Amino acid sequence: MKVGFIGLGVMGRPMALHLLEAGHELSVYARRAEAAQPLVDAGAKACASPAEVAAASEVVFTMVTAGADVEQVALGEDGIVHGAKPGTVLVDMGTIPPGTARRVAAKLAAKGIETIDAPVSGGEVGARNATLAIMAGGKAEVLERVRPLLERLGKTIVHIGPSGAGQVAKACNQMIMVACIEAVAEALLLARQSGADPEKVRQALAGGSAGSRVLDVFGARMTAHDFKAGVEARLHHKDFGILMNEAATLGAPLPIAVQVWQQLNALMAQGWGREDSSALLRVLERESR
Amino acid sequence: MTVLNPPLTHSGENNMNIGFIGLGLMGRPMAINVARGGHTLHIWARRAESLAPFAQFGAHAHVSPAEVAKHADIVVTMVADAPNVEEVTLGENGVAQGARPGLLVADMSTIAPASAQRIGMKLADRGIAFLDAPVSGGEAGAINATLSIMVGGKAAAFEKMKPVFELMGKNIVHVGDSGAGQVAKACNQIVTGMGVAAVAEAFNFARKSGADVAKVREALMGGFAYSKILENHGQRMIDRNFKPGFKAWMHQKDLRIVMQEAHRLGLMLPGAAATAQMFNAMVGSGLGEDDSIAMLKLLERMSGGEPH
Repeated sequence: MKVGFIGLGVMGRPMALHLLEAGHELSVYARRAEAAQPLVDAGAKACASPAEVAAASEVVFTMVTAGADVEQVALGEDGIVHGAKPGTVLVDMGTIPPGTARRVAAKLAAKGIETIDAPVSGGEVGARNATLAIMAGGKAEVLERVRPLLERLGKTIVHIGPSGAGQVAKACNQMIMVACIEAVAEALLLARQSGADPEKVRQALAGGSAGSRVLDVFGARMTAHDFKAGVEARLHHKDFGILMNEAATLGAPLPIAVQVWQQLNALMAQGWGREDSSALLRVLERESR
Repeated sequence: MTVLNPPLTHSGENNMNIGFIGLGLMGRPMAINVARGGHTLHIWARRAESLAPFAQFGAHAHVSPAEVAKHADIVVTMVADAPNVEEVTLGENGVAQGARPGLLVADMSTIAPASAQRIGMKLADRGIAFLDAPVSGGEAGAINATLSIMVGGKAAAFEKMKPVFELMGKNIVHVGDSGAGQVAKACNQIVTGMGVAAVAEAFNFARKSGADVAKVREALMGGFAYSKILENHGQRMIDRNFKPGFKAWMHQKDLRIVMQEAHRLGLMLPGAAATAQMFNAMVGSGLGEDDSIAMLKLLERMSGGEPH
């Protein structure tokens, strides 16, 4: 298939490589040309704009940071809308507000361009090993068309519902995940302050009812005091800004999530936004020493 | 509309032509107090029926905010949120399009500090002075001209506006530069939001513990738990008078502004955060049109039901 990929950062680059390795004809665009170089070296065609990528592709993937970036790439000057033929499918795999996903989809639909919002969970490791969890919103028949491509990127692909539904699922994912990170950080703080070895505690818990992926991965980073990102905390902070705003719009009370958000605010204030979200432990240590 | 020069009503040498945009629950009594102060009112409202009460005050109705500005020395805006302020000031047929040189715009709505700064800068580019001047005190304060007014902007603009503010409120403070009035209002909403929650929690605790809530209030009134909220809002909770006052959805909106600012600044506000979620629950469960004190109803429902 002729496939386009826009946004070649820590997540986008390995994902695009998987598509290339699967034998698809790949066109790429990145704001910084050097980000595209590894893909070009592997046989992808570099394009000068998202419009040019869209003109050369049946399916275009985007993996960019914020809602405004997606709008720019899809609808802006030299955006996908200006190059895509009717019937082209845009698969946006970034995490953006559900409302933005719906708005972009509606504007592209007016030009006969199909859209799937397909945010992912699993981080850089999941992207590299093609084990991402993919939550999709959009028309079922359009998802079926791109499913073989998504199967190259992730292990679980779930169709949640219409446009924006994938982003709703992602917001739920972020709420549970970061609340778990905070819970693990608090437990390990209590362990340490009580004089117990946090790593031993973590290992003991891993086999029982408190065991979780977060305890395994983020807990290990915490006991090692290794806060190199993984997932940069500033991205979780951004996601919480989005989802708490949705909650206010909907009149939904989220008493735990809102406190997790405050801890992330405190983390940002310390200038730790580019560290891993396990640095939520550092926020607690600062308050308690 | 004919150009009114000189103004039609003279009750003193300080008579000014004052535009007033936004004549709702708060804006209407505020504008009436300005008219009673001897100024000539120029008004515009989206709904024509909002204009009717002003005929007896000799107010001049206009077809757009721009037309209001053409006739005004000062324009006051009192609308729901930042997009509304932006529309009536900077939008098509907005105040900026009709402004005479030296016009002063005082926005008394509650919006985000950053929005106020942005609007102030855009108006300044067109030679229009801007004050952000949100208020506290509710409908009663608006009617009785006892509002607290928190003002951000240049000192000269504040001095020009002060006599007009004095017709609407009592405690009028120039807090600082553009946006500072909205910062003070955000602080006000943190304190009042958590204050209402604190009184509601205490009263629910008292009732579930079998104590006479009115007696508890009376006992607390003399001590360090005394506050205006305990006195006024507390009494209305005891009377189970949930008529607004200040609607819960408006408090929710204001705390949403606070929490988004906290996000932007990297600020931890755990108490306001918890309170904001309770306001979310009120809006979500159909209490949004009640007064903020319906927080008590929410707590009662979550702890076994409202009293019979």
